[in-house]
Amino acid sequence: MSDPMIRLQNVSKTFPGSETPAVGDLSLSVPEGEIVVLVGPSGCGKTTTLKMINRIIEPTSGSIEVAGINAVDTEPHILRRKIGYVIQQTGLFPHRTIGQNIATVPRLLGWDKRATEERVVELIDLVGLEQEMANRYPAELSGGQQQRVGVARALAADPPVLLMDEPFGAVDPIVRTRLQDELLGLQERVKKTIVFVTHDIDEAIQLGDRVAILNVGGVLEQFGPPEEILRNPANDFVAEFLGTDRGLKRLSLIPIRDVALDTGPVVAPGDPIAAAHHVAERYGVDWIAVRSRNHLHGWLPLDDLAGMDSVPGEGLMHFKTSLSVDASLKEALDAVVSSHTRVAAVFDGDRYLGMLTAEKISEEIVQ
Amino acid sequence: MIVAQLEGQPFIRWDWVWDHLDEIWQRTVEHVTLTGVAVIVGFGMSLLLSIVALRYRRTYTPITWVTGVFYTIPSIALFAFLVPITGLSILTAEIGLVSYTLLILIRNIVAGINGTPASVREAAVGMGYTDRRILWEIQVPLAVPVIVAGLRVASVTTVGLVTVTSLIGQGGYGAFIDRGLGRNFATEILVGTVLSIILAMLLDYALVRVERRAAPWARRQVPS
Repeated sequence: MSDPMIRLQNVSKTFPGSETPAVGDLSLSVPEGEIVVLVGPSGCGKTTTLKMINRIIEPTSGSIEVAGINAVDTEPHILRRKIGYVIQQTGLFPHRTIGQNIATVPRLLGWDKRATEERVVELIDLVGLEQEMANRYPAELSGGQQQRVGVARALAADPPVLLMDEPFGAVDPIVRTRLQDELLGLQERVKKTIVFVTHDIDEAIQLGDRVAILNVGGVLEQFGPPEEILRNPANDFVAEFLGTDRGLKRLSLIPIRDVALDTGPVVAPGDPIAAAHHVAERYGVDWIAVRSRNHLHGWLPLDDLAGMDSVPGEGLMHFKTSLSVDASLKEALDAVVSSHTRVAAVFDGDRYLGMLTAEKISEEIVQ
Repeated sequence: MIVAQLEGQPFIRWDWVWDHLDEIWQRTVEHVTLTGVAVIVGFGMSLLLSIVALRYRRTYTPITWVTGVFYTIPSIALFAFLVPITGLSILTAEIGLVSYTLLILIRNIVAGINGTPASVREAAVGMGYTDRRILWEIQVPLAVPVIVAGLRVASVTTVGLVTVTSLIGQGGYGAFIDRGLGRNFATEILVGTVLSIILAMLLDYALVRVERRAAPWARRQVPS
């Protein structure tokens, strides 16, 4: 790992009038270009930790480096202009238009007018808003749109670091899922170093390249890629925080693409009935699937073959869910348990790739 | 009693109005000047006192307490108290008028500045705004609607109060009302009253326009 973009060393924070530290002796490194999610129950100091990085909260002791600069030695407002900041309530300026809001940090940095205008146009595109929104006021936008503007504003001066404090906590679940997907798509392009705070373990697992699980008092219980944490929780606290569906959560991280598929009990139209029985017996099932080359026609129960001359190409049952190879094993498992045939048929576009069974999916996480 | 004495007169005698257009104009100028000076001076003093109250939070309570006392003194009593000191002068009138604007204006200025949503402030700090820029570029513009609301109340109140200053020889339209009452002449009372009301409404409307111009964002609502 190259030099980390953000490095916290033995950082602690005790608020005035409090006996116990909100964050106690925390050391954490955030590699460049990665999303690190701080997650934990309330009182775990995750937001305090985030706000110490841009010095909205001053640490009691310890050192914080951002992009090789000692944060404590830098004027706070100079430091902050190099760090994008996104908060839950968006904090958009109500008296400024969307365009003016996005232009906030470039203006503070004294960019010339033309460069700022061009940057605003670029960012409105980047976060998937309409250019015509530039002249509206924040109150005229929906919650999801406002949050996109918040992200665009944070990215405006192209800071190397982005701090996000529960940015999707106040929007409804459907919008949240979309914003999460958009953030990952955005990160593919901008490759920022992002520190993201949430109390939602599922959000942490979905977004984090690495996840830091914090306990009350800012104690770092485990830090690593989500897959590793799910496979091997460091202690009971982590295991309990991850929940009782750890296996399913791991499945959600594994794409079908990474798993070897089985062709399944397939025959071609026109094959002899005996061959169909033979294939079904080998798989221990009472049905067969029919395909020609890469096209899957459907399936039918063995009983229906009685009285037929050969395997038919029509009048078949369809697989209810056709899974994309980009889907996760969790979605595959859902397809398996909700289908009559107890398998999930996987496709790449229209092309049939193979099948997954519950046993096969289970192997992936038990191995 | 007054009503009884006014009985038998026509509701309004237009010939009197036509004969006194010059005086009506002169009283209008007087009324607008008394009001304008009071509101502008009151606003200036309120700004200064608000800055003190915002900077030294402890002073807010005493400031509102003292201006609150001013506000509650009956205006007639206040003028009676001031005449021996400052005479039957414009100064006497303005001291009274200004002191009645202070409480409303200070309360609204301070509430407006302190009303910046915490999230807006936090975002501004987080993006690298200095305290000075937060005040002038964010808190002040966001306070405009609340401050203008205060100015509207102060202006309308002052227009009404100006008529009372007729007791000390000022008064704008109040002079008509005062004289009309003395002579039992309904037209004059009516002219003074109606013009005073119209002036208050015009001033209020003008301030609404100012607010729309200065804070266009405040009137827009979330669609649907």
